[in-house]
Amino acid sequence: MTTLRTEGLTRRFQGLVAVKDLSFHLDAGEILGIIGPNGAGKTTFINLVSGITMPSSGRVEYKGRDITYMPAHERARIGIARTYQLIHPLENLTVIENVMIGSVFSRGKSLKEARRSAEAICAELELDRLDRDTAKLSMLEIKKMEIARALANEPEALFLDEVMAGLNSDETKQVIGTVQRIAAERNLAVGVVEHVMGVIRELTQRVIVLEAGELIAEGPYEKVSKDPRVIEAYLGGAA
Amino acid sequence: MNRNLLRILAALVAVAAVALPAFAGAYPLQVARNVILYMALAITWDMLLRSGQISFGIAGLFGLGAYASVLGVLRAGMSPLLSIAFAGAFAGLAALLIGFLILRLRAIYFSIVTLALAEIFRIVIQNLHDFTGGPEGLVLDGVILGGSASGLYWLTLAGLAVALGASWWFEKSKFHFALTAIRNNETAAKSSGIDIFRWLLATFVITSVIQGFLGGIYGQSYGFATPDSVFDANFTLLPLAMALLGGIHSTVGPIFGAVLLGLAAEWLKLQIPYGHLVVYGVIIIIVILFIPGGLYGLIKKANRASEGRKA
Repeated sequence: MTTLRTEGLTRRFQGLVAVKDLSFHLDAGEILGIIGPNGAGKTTFINLVSGITMPSSGRVEYKGRDITYMPAHERARIGIARTYQLIHPLENLTVIENVMIGSVFSRGKSLKEARRSAEAICAELELDRLDRDTAKLSMLEIKKMEIARALANEPEALFLDEVMAGLNSDETKQVIGTVQRIAAERNLAVGVVEHVMGVIRELTQRVIVLEAGELIAEGPYEKVSKDPRVIEAYLGGAA
Repeated sequence: MNRNLLRILAALVAVAAVALPAFAGAYPLQVARNVILYMALAITWDMLLRSGQISFGIAGLFGLGAYASVLGVLRAGMSPLLSIAFAGAFAGLAALLIGFLILRLRAIYFSIVTLALAEIFRIVIQNLHDFTGGPEGLVLDGVILGGSASGLYWLTLAGLAVALGASWWFEKSKFHFALTAIRNNETAAKSSGIDIFRWLLATFVITSVIQGFLGGIYGQSYGFATPDSVFDANFTLLPLAMALLGGIHSTVGPIFGAVLLGLAAEWLKLQIPYGHLVVYGVIIIIVILFIPGGLYGLIKKANRASEGRKA
């Protein structure tokens, strides 16, 4: 079942076309890689889908419903969650409180219920000592907290923007396992932006490749990585 | 210090505050009334600040409340107590309408507009001669509660209780989560389902209701309202300085700051008449430069450091 779909999605920033005529779909239970060189428009694309940026033209559909111009907080409520590349854990809030936010506002739970479900999610992600200040967390713990916060929205579509960046290889393996597990258990549609190709290869079933805002290739990683256009995009035409 | 000890201490302070008229003369009571009024305003200013929005409009809503209450008595024949409630409602309604227009603004733009609004209120009221008495203002036939010193003190204390209650409720409810999230990162807040505009509007209206309500208490306590007295910039600047000195983003900080700065101001007024405001300014600058968390922030830091050593 298709959870999310875009048609001809375009976003211009003054003269620059950050995302151009992009059509894609993301299915329930699928982990999709979104790759491309720096400045290809990956983050803008996630911003468009999650409602942080509004498109110049085109259409976004969630479970058959047109949500092109729906504000971000409403999208969070109907089931689209995401993490951010630059993470700002909320100061003055503990780990558990950070995670609770999604339950409180996206799901409208009481603080008590939200705490209970946040605790369950943290346990699932092996995140402990939940009353700590976020300033003292390790990078791995911050990443887990971000994922936990997104999951507290109880999403059906989840976008992870460079969630592995800054982790060592053991930690990366651990998070890959975690993402695969939560996606399978919840039948989530997951979109992953990642620079490390090893992660994309292991984690995703399908990949879309962006270059200068355009979709230039689509398919399983093994196939896409051999596509001459993709290789050229990454090597800047020097090869 | 453990939590129970703090609770007992807070209870003792509360009892002492209520019982103050039994053992204080007219002058200390008047000073206490001032401190309490500014404390309440400082708390309401901080409540909005918890969302990251810096308002310079306290005096505007306070003055609006004072006028609403005095006019309520003079023109609509309200009882003084009812007129104080009316003052809160009127300021809240004004904030609701204004909020729709200005709560899309952020940072310095929001601050400047709130400052301008306070000035606009003053000028409008000053020029509605027939209705508001113009620059001379309005005088009531009498002061609320017959002008009894302890009565007026308790009335102001009730105003503080409302501000404290609201602030405490903000700390314990979804407001705490919403406002902290908005202050930290609006984009991330949206992605967690927070309707930023709605929460800011609610906070702006609630804090304005209390500021108008306090203005009503002030107007009824002195029995008059003039543009220069109730829209005085001090109603914006002193609460702001108190909250900064005591420590922002908390209920306790503004309480500390108001007591310290309020008492210091009384003392300084006697030492250097008209010069005490300079000292105020210097204190604000020192706090912003060297102790941005305020005194309560320092205490929390020291507390955390000592806990760190224990662990």
